[in-house]
Amino acid sequence: MRELKIGSSSVRGVVGDDLTPELIVDFACAFGTWVEGGAVLVGLDPRRSSTMLRAATLSGLVSQGCEVIDFGLCPTPFLSFAARELGTGGAISITGSHNDGRWNALKFIGPDGALLNEVKSEELLDIYHASAFLRGIEPRPVTESCPDGIVRRYLEHLLSALDVEAIRSCAFNVAVDFCNGACAPLASLFLEQLGCTLLPLNDRPCSEFAHPPTPSVDNMRQLVRFVRRCDVDLGAALNVDGDRVAFVTGSGDPLSEELTLPLAAVCRLARRPGSIVTNFSTSRRVDAIAEEYGERVIRTAVGEGRVMERGIEEAAVLAGEGSGGVAALPTSMTFDGLLTLAMVLEAMARERCTPAEMVSRLPELFIRKGTLRCSTDQVYRLLETYREEFASANTDFSDGVRVEWDDAFLHVRASNTEPLLRVIVEASDKERAETIFSDVMSKGRGIAAGSGEG
Amino acid sequence: MRKPLSLKIGVSGVRGVVGDTLTPQLITSFAAAFGTYCGGGRIVIGTDTRPSREMVTQAAVAGLLSVGCVPVELGVVPVPTVQLHTRTLGAAGGICVTASHNPREWNALKFFARDGVVLRPNQFEELIDIYHQADYPRVSAHEIAVPEIDDNAIGIHRDVVLRMLNVDLVRKRRFKVALDCCNGAASASAPEFLRALGCEVVELSTDPDAPFPRDPEPVPEHLGDLRRLVRESGADLGFAVDADADRLALVSERGDALGEDCTVALAIRHVLSQRPGPVAVNVSTSRMVDDVAAEFGCDVYRSMVGEVNVIEMMLACGAEIGGEGTGGVIVPTINSCRDSFVAMGLVLESLAMEGVTLSELRGRMPSYAMVKEKVPCHARDIAPAMRLLKHLYRDEELVTVDGVKVCWADRWVHVRGSNTEPVMRVVAEAPTTAQAREMVRGVIEYLRPSG
Repeated sequence: MRELKIGSSSVRGVVGDDLTPELIVDFACAFGTWVEGGAVLVGLDPRRSSTMLRAATLSGLVSQGCEVIDFGLCPTPFLSFAARELGTGGAISITGSHNDGRWNALKFIGPDGALLNEVKSEELLDIYHASAFLRGIEPRPVTESCPDGIVRRYLEHLLSALDVEAIRSCAFNVAVDFCNGACAPLASLFLEQLGCTLLPLNDRPCSEFAHPPTPSVDNMRQLVRFVRRCDVDLGAALNVDGDRVAFVTGSGDPLSEELTLPLAAVCRLARRPGSIVTNFSTSRRVDAIAEEYGERVIRTAVGEGRVMERGIEEAAVLAGEGSGGVAALPTSMTFDGLLTLAMVLEAMARERCTPAEMVSRLPELFIRKGTLRCSTDQVYRLLETYREEFASANTDFSDGVRVEWDDAFLHVRASNTEPLLRVIVEASDKERAETIFSDVMSKGRGIAAGSGEG
Repeated sequence: MRKPLSLKIGVSGVRGVVGDTLTPQLITSFAAAFGTYCGGGRIVIGTDTRPSREMVTQAAVAGLLSVGCVPVELGVVPVPTVQLHTRTLGAAGGICVTASHNPREWNALKFFARDGVVLRPNQFEELIDIYHQADYPRVSAHEIAVPEIDDNAIGIHRDVVLRMLNVDLVRKRRFKVALDCCNGAASASAPEFLRALGCEVVELSTDPDAPFPRDPEPVPEHLGDLRRLVRESGADLGFAVDADADRLALVSERGDALGEDCTVALAIRHVLSQRPGPVAVNVSTSRMVDDVAAEFGCDVYRSMVGEVNVIEMMLACGAEIGGEGTGGVIVPTINSCRDSFVAMGLVLESLAMEGVTLSELRGRMPSYAMVKEKVPCHARDIAPAMRLLKHLYRDEELVTVDGVKVCWADRWVHVRGSNTEPVMRVVAEAPTTAQAREMVRGVIEYLRPSG
């Protein structure tokens, strides 16, 4: 199978035979055509393959007459802010983000700073498929630096969404694992302005990451050891391009990335009433926080683009996913790990409690996740089976099958990236979660070719 | 349907009109093919100053990286600098982003083998085969290299050329040189090179970020500004290079453009006066070369048109000096290509050694009038045209090493298909311009389809 995934606001693939520079040039041309010759920002993460993607991207964009501003090494949320702030036609962030080192991707950002939504992505794909690129255009030279003051404006923008005084008064010690990504320079400026002391880990940008870049309990072992040795109030693991974050408590207990959204919600809802948007697969712990503040949780199909778009539509104050990606709306147009980190600090400051105490207030829920490997044509037959099975329950079919009970939920959906079904169950009782999960899995196995659990 | 005539893939490289046929997709694939041909390793890459330079360079860098090569980026440099650096560095190959003398909307990739010589026809064919198969051995993410930036190439090039010259002798003359770089690749390096030879340099069009102020081909009709500048500044001579600085044309102290075929004749005369030996030039180069070589009792070997053909001929006959009538001077012991720095150095050294002005030096060689025309022509129509000409001139002395050249005692006419454009080139040389023009006109008339 070719490891290439085109769609939902990005082109993602394994560098080599699948993600080739020719493909990148084509997509950059398509994007240049899509923005109709406006200015386009380009940023990248420190993967070595990003250099190749950057060269191909710049070439494609300038061939379409775009004014290209090359931001160099740069987190995606910052690029998103700059794209909006500078009135550009859009931006391309070159980053494999949370994927391992074999992968890389182009993320497409529109003039509003948001990842391209489905309609815009389809427009882009239509241009790509038709190879309907502009012709007869004289390329312009590339501008090779960020415009003056844009970093300062970004930081001011983030600070304007926060209770800076409250955070400063606590003078937190914060350990951050940058996974050798693009965020360290911005993060140190930002945390300084928040009166925090930064204890950095893996802060040198380089192509060989110290550990897999997905923020998760498994990948935070090094951070956990680091936190246990130091005297810190909070540990945070950012992914390479800074859109996702997961936390470690001051005493060194790693928190699942599923907890990032509820922790951020504690801060956000205390300051600003409004609804929260998340996806069907995300833990219901966030519902508990929303309930506390009398707010709604709205759920959409999985994917940052969809969640953010719905968040903007609903004028929500927070949007995020169980992956650790969270955005404060309307401040951010993409998930922003730095702002998420600061929101958790603010919650700690104002509630006068440690992260561990904040977590202890959340309901205890048990999650069970697995995959059912099946061919593409089996996917729909399986989903149909589940739809019939749960027809009498409280269901939503907009992204696979989601069933909601008072004490549990089940979500079965087709993967965006692989030929398999993802099954997720969460319940307040461990056995209940296990029962629902094993029922669904055994039913699926009867039909599908094979399965795996995770 | 209109045939796309603006893409030309041949021994001179991959050449096309940017935004039309020369797309970043094509360049990326060709660079990947070239990286494959070279089998990985370092690939030197430089560019002239065309507005599309970044588009083409970045596309090439992406293609090279994808197959595991290490691009060594020289930035804006003359094409001979890229060729010399490829050899000096022991690189696996070199690429220059330049359409040489073509107008600014054109651009091209020129490919060099590890010895710095333009790919020979058989090597280029192998490259084309790889390109057509489009099955490049892409490397995985962790094998992708970090491109290198190399700022030393110009300095090395300058020093290598200076080492072959009698620098002290040239410096003593304190030449005042008007220099027209066409805002091209030598805009920064050529003035510096001349100052190292003790020259006072009056610069014209040496802004690499400005557009070409003139057609970049350094033929007399494009050198009006330089001729004026020489007269107004009282310069000893004027130098004009093309956009990628491989070719050189001369303007005398009186402000006369000598014609770009004089450059190679003067350089040959100077070298033979020091060390007589065989000479190689292409079949379309002026008879002046034969006269000069005869003066020193040396043989002239004639090759097909095209830098690589001249170099191959030079290597075969052991020539120390040679070149092309278009202003390209080649001294293979210094640099295996046309090199305007070598040409400038030899001309200045010759003037210094003989203690004369450029018009006096010019006066020591015979004069011919040369007329060049190009006729739009599909590639498929070239061979029939050649057959017609061979028939028409069947009773004359014919040279058919490249197209058809018809020779008489004091004149010749040469017709061939271009390597770089979809045209047929017609060149004639005769005692007077009127005679040369008449010969060109006669050929064009004859080849024009009747009706």
